[in-house]
Amino acid sequence: MKGSYARFSLRRILALASATLTQLIRMRILVFLLIFSAIVVGVGFVFPLPTPEQQLKLLKDVSFGALQFFSVAMAVVATALLLPRDLEDRTLYTILAKPVPRHEYLLGKLLGLLALIGGGLIVMDLILCGVLYVRQEMVFQEFIAALRSEGLETPESTAEVRLMVDQQGLSWTLHAGVFAVFLKAAVISSLALMISTFASSTLFTVVCTFCAVIIGHGQQLAREFFFHRHLDGIWEKAASTVFAILAPDLQMFDIVDNVINGEAVPSGAMLSMTGMGAMYVVGYLIVAHLLFVEKEL
Amino acid sequence: MKLKRIVQAALVLLFLGVAKVPLEERVTERLRAENLLSPPLTLEVRENVGQMSFAAALGGLRSLVASIVYLEAYTAFENSEWAKVDSLFQLITRLQPRMVSYWEQAAAHMAYDAAAYYLKSEEIEPAVRGRLFQEHVDRGIAFLEEGLTYLPDSARLWARLGDVYKYRVKSPKKAAEAYWKAFECGRQPFLQRATAYELSVLPDEEDQRRAYELLKIRYGEGDRYPTVIAKIKQFEEKFGVPLAVRIPEAMPQRSDADPGMNAGPNVDVEGR
Repeated sequence: MKGSYARFSLRRILALASATLTQLIRMRILVFLLIFSAIVVGVGFVFPLPTPEQQLKLLKDVSFGALQFFSVAMAVVATALLLPRDLEDRTLYTILAKPVPRHEYLLGKLLGLLALIGGGLIVMDLILCGVLYVRQEMVFQEFIAALRSEGLETPESTAEVRLMVDQQGLSWTLHAGVFAVFLKAAVISSLALMISTFASSTLFTVVCTFCAVIIGHGQQLAREFFFHRHLDGIWEKAASTVFAILAPDLQMFDIVDNVINGEAVPSGAMLSMTGMGAMYVVGYLIVAHLLFVEKEL
Repeated sequence: MKLKRIVQAALVLLFLGVAKVPLEERVTERLRAENLLSPPLTLEVRENVGQMSFAAALGGLRSLVASIVYLEAYTAFENSEWAKVDSLFQLITRLQPRMVSYWEQAAAHMAYDAAAYYLKSEEIEPAVRGRLFQEHVDRGIAFLEEGLTYLPDSARLWARLGDVYKYRVKSPKKAAEAYWKAFECGRQPFLQRATAYELSVLPDEEDQRRAYELLKIRYGEGDRYPTVIAKIKQFEEKFGVPLAVRIPEAMPQRSDADPGMNAGPNVDVEGR
């Protein structure tokens, strides 16, 4: 039967992404969400700290730490598993035997994984926001009660405490922080996918991607040496240049540290960061396609 | 995999790498200018936090590392290990220099807690006690001044500096300057009153006249605390203000009542 065949089909990609998402959910990866909830509630209500700001900050620090751990671990390990698992299950042959171009297969896999990471981050963001809001109000009431008992409650002191608590409490910028975590995970996932197209084993992909992640977090230091000429030796300079060129700058997405502190996030900054993230993802996907398109399976 | 494809992939990777470096530099500079990215960690921090924490801080968990070191500093504070509190807060403030409460707490631990501890410690020679007291007050001031280099518009830090000058150094002039800076940053009325109270105890008539003007502003905006009224009445007498311009209230019975001001640290140590 001869039908119209599109060289690029969004429907095919979405079907592949949906299948990938189902495949990953079946690996019981989302159990982490329960662990995350327990961590957030534990840190939110168990740790007694002297200042209301520090109580809220610790809650955000630990929660964002867990968020980052979830996204990076998922981006590295789940991506590394995708291709080998499809080879092992022979689903890869079934898919590629149909008129599915290889770039669509790669895109579908990446989108499925990003949907899982994005969905997980949204759920964790909601849990964090809920707990933070409750804790914020509790901390405010406790502080005001303490001021009242000392006879120091005035409209001015109440306003100052409100300001202090609000700065460390729930704000829209926290979602910008979560989005930055997602962007970093997207870059790492595409990098891992690229490595997995030429890797000989899952372990090789995991190790290489973790190395790239570590180098990526030190990339600003490498660029600092490269641009600002702190190094005199030829070999040191060459090494810093290679690191600066090859590894993505993952520290660029680490706005979380300052978002936790209540810094405002201008839309221009978010756009720049998103643009850089998109550039890495597209670049690594092109390389992954070039390596995968004629690979003998 | 064909060699042609491998070469193509390598070329794309190289092109991406060369193109991204200046872009990364520009975006990083922009994010730093907008205070979204912290300055790179120094070698001094690496030596102090240990390798694991340094790696975590590099990996986007700088705020978490600061919180963990803070817990350690809190334990040191409970054990009155002041040198350790000092060095740990130095580290915390290096990790998160834009967090106001870290500078504030570092200064409070030094200028109030540690200073009072040494002043009251009977195991130490009286002459040494005074010296240690002064050194820790100075250390508290140094923390606040360093914090203000990162956060020059922080009303809270200026106000805390004013508190230290008021309660610890007993310098109304410097306290007034700091409170005034705090008022300029935050426009909080109690800081304007605090400036006026400090200026009012200075011997210079120019300072006292400024105190009077500020108190009249506060009075006009509804601050009817006994202290405000008492000080205005004193100045009206002293400067011979015409009766028609004077405030209508009588001299209050309790001249020290201003709940906004009592919110400061209750730290007046005997003999200082």
